[in-house]
Amino acid sequence: MNRNVKLLWNGLIPENPIFRLALSMCPAVAVTTSVKNGLMLGLAVIFVQVFSSCTVAIFRGFIHPRIRIPAYVIVIALWVSVIDMVLPVINYSVYKEVALFVKLIVVFAIIISRLELFASKEPLIPSFFDGLGMGVGFLFGLVVIGSIRELSGTGMLYGHDILGFKPLLVMILPAGGFFVIGFIMALFNYVEYKLTGKMPASGGGH
Amino acid sequence: MKDIIKITLSLTGVCIGAAVILGLVFTQTEAARKHIEEKQKEETIQGLLGFGPGKEKSSDLKIHPVHRYILTGTEAGTQLGYVVPTKEGKFAMVCVDLSGKPMKVIPIEANPTEMAEAGSRDAAVSKAMPKAVHAQYAESFYVADSGGKRLGYVLPGITQGFKTFVKMMVSIDPKFTVTGVAITESEEDPGLGAEIQQDYFRNQFIGKTVDMLKSLVVVKKPLPADYLNVLEPAKAAKLPAEQVKEIKKEHVKDNIYALTGATISSRAVTRGVKDTVKKFTYRFDILKKAVEQEKVQVAF
Repeated sequence: MNRNVKLLWNGLIPENPIFRLALSMCPAVAVTTSVKNGLMLGLAVIFVQVFSSCTVAIFRGFIHPRIRIPAYVIVIALWVSVIDMVLPVINYSVYKEVALFVKLIVVFAIIISRLELFASKEPLIPSFFDGLGMGVGFLFGLVVIGSIRELSGTGMLYGHDILGFKPLLVMILPAGGFFVIGFIMALFNYVEYKLTGKMPASGGGH
Repeated sequence: MKDIIKITLSLTGVCIGAAVILGLVFTQTEAARKHIEEKQKEETIQGLLGFGPGKEKSSDLKIHPVHRYILTGTEAGTQLGYVVPTKEGKFAMVCVDLSGKPMKVIPIEANPTEMAEAGSRDAAVSKAMPKAVHAQYAESFYVADSGGKRLGYVLPGITQGFKTFVKMMVSIDPKFTVTGVAITESEEDPGLGAEIQQDYFRNQFIGKTVDMLKSLVVVKKPLPADYLNVLEPAKAAKLPAEQVKEIKKEHVKDNIYALTGATISSRAVTRGVKDTVKKFTYRFDILKKAVEQEKVQVAF
């Protein structure tokens, strides 16, 4: 398989940021009360992750290794601010929906960990695909968690009434987020165990 | 030693580079952003007054902004100045002292387009003031007239939310009963505090009179199902109008039902609405007296 496609796939399932790497769990629990919230945050993360990964990959020769962490934070903050300023001019109604999420992104562990582990060592093209893969993987995780929580908590999906009643209100409360993420993580580990026969190593957690 | 210099220079370089990019983006987008925000504000005000898609504003609708300035350095200490439009299409600053006693009226030479823009308005106001006086802009409220009849007022409000400030706009009718609440700016958590922007929360304030607002609190009880149905405009449209009216009437004296998992944000908005209306009734009373006493020909 082409390496770039592999990188994309890697971010989506084998190293999914939420279910496999256990990074950026705070937003994954806090924001995913509905599919729409998950989708908006996921889109914003894709943009910031791709732009930051590319920037760091281009300038990786210039950044002194001992100040790489502050430099990465500046890069992430730069792209978050740029998106926050440019988006309202391009499309104000979209901006109004995602403004809250865009400002949250500066402190996401997944972005800085990808800069540190991948973009600081690899050239531009693989970094782009790694960033895109991780962003899409994060979006995928958020949408899956969001749809399970919204459907079981409010009986709706993307704001449309599906069930007509509320089966489990606890699902849209923070406790429900832990339940859903825990069960999906267990499912991922079970599938890996069945496929490889090895006990999965425990994730990082930030 | 050499390393430290290198690191310092390198980090400074990164910061300067980022700052330059941010500055460039800012200068390119600032004007357009401000323009859109002004337009949004106008739409919010009209929306609160009941106009919007499906219900075009009537041609005789007039929205008069009244700007409040804080004047420091006058001979009587700190004063408040209200910039009001006059009947001849000019503007005047009505000054009152802190206890509400009317002071003098200062005419302001400016045309309406100058007064609409914050920068040129501040310049025109300070030009009209005596030299020693410093005028600091505080806020604006809006008086809406339709065909010579008072439609209501739209007031800006600000309150401490769960994280940062929550900015809102409250519209009230001539008897100071709340007719609408809009959240214009907030950074509450999505899915929890951000629910304050939802119709079913904001519309709970509609119909609350000044007396009801005085004792209004947030209760941690689930929102009754029949009330929820009429608070959402999409759902209320399906019910017969009579029934909607009846349910609204039944619940108008209820307290505000807290949002699930966002009691602090719910309390913040409630406090904000209460304070905004309370301050406005006090200030508007003073302004009205001052205008009558000084015989200013105001446009509203």
